[in-house]
Amino acid sequence: MPKGQVKHLKYNYRSESTLHFYEFVSEGPKGLIKKVVIYTETTIENVYNLGFGDYDESTNGINDLSVTNNGDSLKILATVASTVYAFTEKYPNAWILATGSTAVRTRLYRMGITNNLAEIETDFIVLGYTKNEEWEKFLVGEDYEAFLFTKKENKN
Amino acid sequence: MTVEQTIEKLNKSKVPIIVIDKKLERFKGQNLFPEKLKRANEILAKTGLPKLTDR
Repeated sequence: MPKGQVKHLKYNYRSESTLHFYEFVSEGPKGLIKKVVIYTETTIENVYNLGFGDYDESTNGINDLSVTNNGDSLKILATVASTVYAFTEKYPNAWILATGSTAVRTRLYRMGITNNLAEIETDFIVLGYTKNEEWEKFLVGEDYEAFLFTKKENKN
Repeated sequence: MTVEQTIEKLNKSKVPIIVIDKKLERFKGQNLFPEKLKRANEILAKTGLPKLTDR
């Protein structure tokens, strides 16, 4: 496996031409669950919000509070991480901000980053948003409300 | 580039092969996570982007 690649299996996914929207299907004991990852422009140029959740076809809406327990959370996280690679390949100057919709999901993000930190840091700078409302270099074991990623080449 | 070189390049790539699906174009420009985006903008308004140093 190439150095820097997230080590877990991931789902194949589809996107549209600008690579802002990604869709894949989680497979597990609870069945097939459509997931989406969306990068949305924020008020600061080149900074994008990462949104992730279940797509509800009946409402054409997103549920980012659902906990599907489909037994594949690591594979899902690896898939989301893979979209970060795809997105930043197309938009190399981008910064990506991710917040969890719940404390549980934020901890899941933190766990995913922690478990893959060595690999992620070969390509990205990872920051955490502290309770003191400051960004700091991501530290294992610390609580963060949000996370910020950018390619190492963007270091100023 | 030979087929072998192409395969070697693909195997070494960290960037996945992405299937482009025209049906997904309808999601372009939609704000499907308004609460998260609102919170992201609040954080950015408060702190801006951090200066990256070797701390």
